[in-house]
Amino acid sequence: MQPVVLFISLILMAALSAVFVAAARASRGPAPGPGASAKRSGLIWVMTILGVIVSVASLREWPHALAGTGDALEVNVSGGQWWWDIDTTEIPAGKPVNFNVTTEDVTHGMGIYDSDLTLLTQVQAIPGYTTQITYTFEEPGSYQILCMEFCGVAHHDMVNEFEVIAAEG
Amino acid sequence: MSTVSENYVPGHAAAAPQAGAVKLTMVLSGAVFALMMVFGLLMRAAQGQWIDLDAALFYQLLTAHGAGMVGTAALSGAAIMWYFCGRHLVLSGGIFWAFLGLFLLGVVLILGAIFIGGYGGAWTFLFPLPALSGGAWEAGAAAAFMLGYTAIGVGFLLYYLELGRRIHARYGSLVRALGWNLILGREDNDPPPPAIVAAAAVTIFNSIGIILGAAVLVASLVHLLVPGFEVDALLAKNLIYFFGHVFINASIYMAVTAVYEILPEYTGKPWKSNRLFAIAWNAVLIFVMAVYWHHLLQDVVMPPWMLVVGQLVSYFSGIPLIAVTAFSTFLYVRGSKMTWDLASSLLVLSVAGWSVGSVPASIDGMISVNKVMHNTMWVPGHFHTYLLLGEVAMAFGFMAWLVRGKTISQMDGLDRAAFVTYLAGAAGFVTVFLFSGAASIPRRWAVHYEEWLAHDRIGTLFGGLVVLGTLVFVLRFAARLGRREG
Repeated sequence: MQPVVLFISLILMAALSAVFVAAARASRGPAPGPGASAKRSGLIWVMTILGVIVSVASLREWPHALAGTGDALEVNVSGGQWWWDIDTTEIPAGKPVNFNVTTEDVTHGMGIYDSDLTLLTQVQAIPGYTTQITYTFEEPGSYQILCMEFCGVAHHDMVNEFEVIAAEG
Repeated sequence: MSTVSENYVPGHAAAAPQAGAVKLTMVLSGAVFALMMVFGLLMRAAQGQWIDLDAALFYQLLTAHGAGMVGTAALSGAAIMWYFCGRHLVLSGGIFWAFLGLFLLGVVLILGAIFIGGYGGAWTFLFPLPALSGGAWEAGAAAAFMLGYTAIGVGFLLYYLELGRRIHARYGSLVRALGWNLILGREDNDPPPPAIVAAAAVTIFNSIGIILGAAVLVASLVHLLVPGFEVDALLAKNLIYFFGHVFINASIYMAVTAVYEILPEYTGKPWKSNRLFAIAWNAVLIFVMAVYWHHLLQDVVMPPWMLVVGQLVSYFSGIPLIAVTAFSTFLYVRGSKMTWDLASSLLVLSVAGWSVGSVPASIDGMISVNKVMHNTMWVPGHFHTYLLLGEVAMAFGFMAWLVRGKTISQMDGLDRAAFVTYLAGAAGFVTVFLFSGAASIPRRWAVHYEEWLAHDRIGTLFGGLVVLGTLVFVLRFAARLGRREG
């Protein structure tokens, strides 16, 4: 997902920058005509309609939806300054995993990374709460948990790993 | 008590009695901006393994950089808005000096907490981290840090109380100052100018933000003194992010008054309040306060409707910015035959940077995107875009205008070189952050993996250009301050 997000962002940012450059260059040109107000209204409508479409499309399926407990593997992860504890070291590929995440001290962020150091999903670990996310690992291999919320002087050392193994045929 | 008629002093002269205080504030702001940028440069160089920084010192610099930049953005924004509101209101100089004094007291406490006490809990003081340092700092250092925030907050509340009461005295009510006569189509022979509409809105939302910030600061301070006093961590996080989000946004919304008041000198077209302008500012008043939930999109125990509101408002708050402020800037500039000196170039750049920065911010505000971008380098990528190329550019543009003199002339060689250096450096710096975010590099890590070093080193080079451009802007401002207008 990240490369697509980057690409779309850079295109839109470049387009908006180009409009500003064009406006600056047009300072020597003719003054805006009477149609400027209509153009502004059009822009507001386009942004509004685009916003509604993107919002509906991106929220129609709730991004934090959890798999049913009967279908998913339950994995408990707890964090503290500056460690992660996972109650299993091997997770089968292809099966939804419900991560139940807690913290023993301050707020942490559980980020799951694949072996290419790409962030797959994350959730905050909040004192006094159990937070849950579901993720299905497609590929066997080594995965890491990195802390995504600043938690003190050894924040960057708060790393652990687990293995995803091929599902039994 | 002043009457309405006593308060009304039209034109530039009203600002003159406090121009000295504002100029001093801008000198301080420029110096702190430069110092904080050097801190930022050191952190990027350390992440790139070009210099060796102890992790504890790295996180102290991180804390100073965050608190210093947010505080200075707000300080410079407040000075700008005070200056231009002085064109329409009579404001008490004593209040501004008290505000500045409390701000400096806060700075002393914060710097002492960090560099003497060793506090490195980030500018967000996320509960209960200040009390649980793992041995890195004592409770006294955390308390000093939060007392520093408290002093700054009290100063800002004084500032807004003075603004609010003067606006009320001059316009009858904050509702009228927010342009409701324009919105409702009622006759108003003396409509509030853009700077006053902005001041009314910011006074309301930033006062609310500071009061809620004070609540969580007090709770955190009590927790430091009495560890048995527990605070719900999620509630505290909501209060902190409401305060933090509103406060940093207020800095931009205060500084934009420089665009409203200065650009017309160049374009020859006054920036007037109208119905659309008033609607946009009233939308901003609501949006700024409702959007903070986009900081908590991965706090999945939050009520889902709040996260949905966070996503929706994150996107729709871009409409008043792009379709009103940015679009109006296009219209004012187009065909204006304006002269592009350092002040006008930086002010137009600031609207562009603010608008362009809203794009990656809005995209990150989508819950599904946020799952893989939250707390990666993507976040400093977008907020550096609308701060470095937005608020800070507004502040530097205002500073350049303050020392411009009466004659407007094209940029000379040094100004042009500084402008291009700053623009190229900042654009490259934030773009590297965005690429780093897309590469999943977490933010706020003192030590980086080998795979990430290329990002850090390229970012450091661009950061060096930003510091260079900034030094020229600030030194040029300081050098010209003493000159007489020509």
